Amino acid sequence: MGHSGHFAALQSSFLRNFLLGSSVAVILFIAIAIAIAIAEIHNRPGMENGDSNAAAAPAPAPPPPNPDRIKLNVGGKLFETTASTLRSAGPDSLLFALSSRAAQDPDPDPSPIFIDRDPDIFSAILSLLRTDRLPSTALRFSKQDLADEAVYYGVESRLRSAMSPPPLDGIDASVVATVRPASEGLPSALSAHPDGSVWIAHGGQISSYDWNLAHSATVRTHLDDVTSIRRVWPEIAAAGSESAAGLHFYDFSSGLHVGAAHWNDPTDPRIHKAWVTAVADSPGSVYAAFECPHRENCVLEVDKSTLQIVSALGRQPGSSTKHMAPGKLAWLPEMGLLAGSAVTCGAFGYSGYIRLWDPRSGKVAWETNEPGSGRSSRFGDSFADVDADAESSRLFKVCSKSGDLGMADLRKLGDDPWVYLREKNPGMGNTARRGGGTSVVRCYRGQVFVGREGDLEVWSRAAAGGGEGGGGADEGEEMYRRNYVNRAEAEAAAEGEGEERERGVIRRIDGGGNRLFVGRVGVEGVEVWESSRFAVVAPAS
Amino acid sequence: MPPFSCSTPSNGLHPAKMDSNVVTINVGGQIFQTTKQTLALAGPKSILSAAAKSQLAHLGEHFVDRDPELFSVILSLLRTGNLPSKAKAFDLQDVISESQFYGVESLLVNSVSNPSQFDAFNLQKSLVLPLNGRDAPSAIAATPFGSLHVAHGSKITSFDWSLGRKKTILTQFTAVDSLLPISPAVAAAGATDFSGLQILDLENGAVRETLNWENVTRSGSTVQAIGSSGEHLFVSFESGRRNSNSILVYDLQSLSPVTEIGHNEIFGADLDSAIPATKLKWIPSYNLLMASGSHGGPSGVSGNIRFWDIRTGSIAWEVKDKVDCFSDVAVSDNLSAMFKIGVNSGEVFYMDLRNLDDDKSWVCLGDRRKMLNGKKEGVGCKIESHGSQVFCTKKGDIELWSEVLISSQKKSNDGLGERVFRKNLMGRMKDTGGAKITNLAFGGNKMFVTRKDQQSIEVWQSSVRGF
Repeated sequence: MGHSGHFAALQSSFLRNFLLGSSVAVILFIAIAIAIAIAEIHNRPGMENGDSNAAAAPAPAPPPPNPDRIKLNVGGKLFETTASTLRSAGPDSLLFALSSRAAQDPDPDPSPIFIDRDPDIFSAILSLLRTDRLPSTALRFSKQDLADEAVYYGVESRLRSAMSPPPLDGIDASVVATVRPASEGLPSALSAHPDGSVWIAHGGQISSYDWNLAHSATVRTHLDDVTSIRRVWPEIAAAGSESAAGLHFYDFSSGLHVGAAHWNDPTDPRIHKAWVTAVADSPGSVYAAFECPHRENCVLEVDKSTLQIVSALGRQPGSSTKHMAPGKLAWLPEMGLLAGSAVTCGAFGYSGYIRLWDPRSGKVAWETNEPGSGRSSRFGDSFADVDADAESSRLFKVCSKSGDLGMADLRKLGDDPWVYLREKNPGMGNTARRGGGTSVVRCYRGQVFVGREGDLEVWSRAAAGGGEGGGGADEGEEMYRRNYVNRAEAEAAAEGEGEERERGVIRRIDGGGNRLFVGRVGVEGVEVWESSRFAVVAPAS
Repeated sequence: MPPFSCSTPSNGLHPAKMDSNVVTINVGGQIFQTTKQTLALAGPKSILSAAAKSQLAHLGEHFVDRDPELFSVILSLLRTGNLPSKAKAFDLQDVISESQFYGVESLLVNSVSNPSQFDAFNLQKSLVLPLNGRDAPSAIAATPFGSLHVAHGSKITSFDWSLGRKKTILTQFTAVDSLLPISPAVAAAGATDFSGLQILDLENGAVRETLNWENVTRSGSTVQAIGSSGEHLFVSFESGRRNSNSILVYDLQSLSPVTEIGHNEIFGADLDSAIPATKLKWIPSYNLLMASGSHGGPSGVSGNIRFWDIRTGSIAWEVKDKVDCFSDVAVSDNLSAMFKIGVNSGEVFYMDLRNLDDDKSWVCLGDRRKMLNGKKEGVGCKIESHGSQVFCTKKGDIELWSEVLISSQKKSNDGLGERVFRKNLMGRMKDTGGAKITNLAFGGNKMFVTRKDQQSIEVWQSSVRGF
């Protein structure tokens, strides 16, 4: 799907490649001709027994064959390349083994190494090794075929880096695919992985899609509604549901339920049948927020290797908004802190808290409650959603009433650390008109993505000018610019963008592998947004 | 220099010299080279393995006067076992006819319509096979590799495994109620209003044989159900006067009668024995034949499920169902469990078959309060097992039941844990609903669905490579 969009743009480069390819072919032909000539000299009957040095003396001395050059015969087609090209595949690959085998061959002019595979795909793989990118001719093959062949030759990581999307740039991204599970496709939770794969929970099932976005496995859990998932090991998902007790671990390779964590307190019989409201993980632990039927809650730390509960932190009664179970947890790696937030919406608007815990001491490192006291500059405009950006060490919140984006520096947190990013472009319209009530905010790759009802917008930082660089405290505020990621509905429909896309309220956003995954309310499947270096040229009608 | 092993690396790689292992084939002017091992995968009857064996192999090249592009597809199929993406450029029928020429059609079937590719969680409604004429399908049957036979009215239409070719024959029946494929071109067909089981040649419509049960009343004997194991054919007959019934066992090859089990003659009002078996399923791992039948009377629906031991002709185990009797039953060999839909509640029940004892009872997988309602929600529901899943139709929807395997399971007193089954509604939102589902069949990587009054068959399949 993604490739077909590039095709128009590639046509011109294809022509160039073709011309280039033909000149390569000419060179190859000459090389073969030379090789044949050399072989003929060697095979001359008179030379066979004689001392080759002496015998060669009268004839013009053939140039010594380049020891670095390697000939391959793939399924009947001849390829010639260098050992260094083959070695670039990596020491564990089949091609690396071939190159070293050829180097050990005492024969100065060895016959080509025969590989019983399809020559056309091999030519694409060889181009990948030579140029570090896939040639346009590779568009003929399916991603699955290329991946299979790459696994055979041991160049999967090279293929992966060549096929993975360029760095995600929110100001220039488009939907490249919609990942749709086969049954009960309304996503209830999703978890993206840095390699671009995604796990989607839907209707009690968890489906995994690999870096190619191809369906790789589905596990049916015993939960009927998985509301939070986290990929804690490459093959193990931690899943929790707000309708059933406990945090559960499912293994994708076997489809087995491999463990569970339940919140129990021997001294308090009321701590029973607690469900999970949010999950996060650090390199060694899984953090899950548990809530009891009587609303008492706490965050449990589960060891990743033993899947046993290690400690509990932030236990609170749940009797007021300040003590609700967190609906969102995030691990801040460079600070070693766990961020949690809870939001509730009542007749008097939104209220909630943001809290940072230090898991080692179990203490609260910082917290803020909204609506706070009257000292806050934005009293009455409490946040609707918050996310932490680990890269820039910043917290971003979206205000429920004004719809503005607030930013706080995690290194300089105080009583009111918020800086509000202002919209200066009059053409963008006022955020307040839409309100922030149903907004979700998600930081990925230094950008802040905000889902506002059906629209997706991005706040990204413009490069600082004038070489001043470092700047003052307000630098961030000035440098953030807001843009829509998606196009206006009418325009997208007019241009017939794909099949008429359903536009539900954006509920979930997650980023991984330079892809942004967006789940909408009442829409089956998950949208995948990527940036592309290729322009799509549409004919004017 | 890294350490270097001299053992032959993975298959297909033959370094150093162009040894005699490499075979050169010229197909339509294009040179292909491959190894004898690869060609040998084509099977002994293929012309490709003949080329590999012949003495000419390393002397000259074989010339084959065929299309080279198609041959490269076939060669990729031999090398990897999968169809390459360039096969998409061709119609599947071209690839099939080419694979028939080279004698590798079975490999093609294996890569495109293999039952091991069946992934219940990934089935999507992908194709619709329309039927000509005016009759909605009454019975469907699929073979393990995905060819399909559909009885509609007095006709039987057979689709090949690629669903690209079909053949329709005319039968003597007004409507076929039970259909069972015996070999690729032969099927057994029977009807509840027609005497005798007919073994039909699906190529030309000829009746190869008619199997009849000589009942005491000398009336005709209608067919209530057909089943088969690897070696036997089971037929449930009922006499035309409906006062006797029996299950006959035939040899599947010679079609000669082997034995007769469950012969019932009805005298008086012994209702239970009057129920002929309407579903016959062979359970390989238990070596038992499941025969179920039910009867609706003024006092409600009652039925029985019997497990027959063919060798002794006796009942190994029996379940009598009076409260919320089954409307359909399925036995899953992989799960070692039996499933039913309650006719009143419309809910799914299961019974663990891992230990059979007389006080076994059904475990309700839904709302057990509905067992006593009189709404008959389960009427017409079908339940079928395939692989490790159970498929249950409710009106226009299909529920997929699967077992959640919990490693740290609490053991109950009989040593077997509580089992956890969960359901999902199959299909996208746009696929749900629709007319009531009348038949389900499974073959290859596909599921076939027919609906009431619709002259077509829905094909649900998981996304496959190639086509």
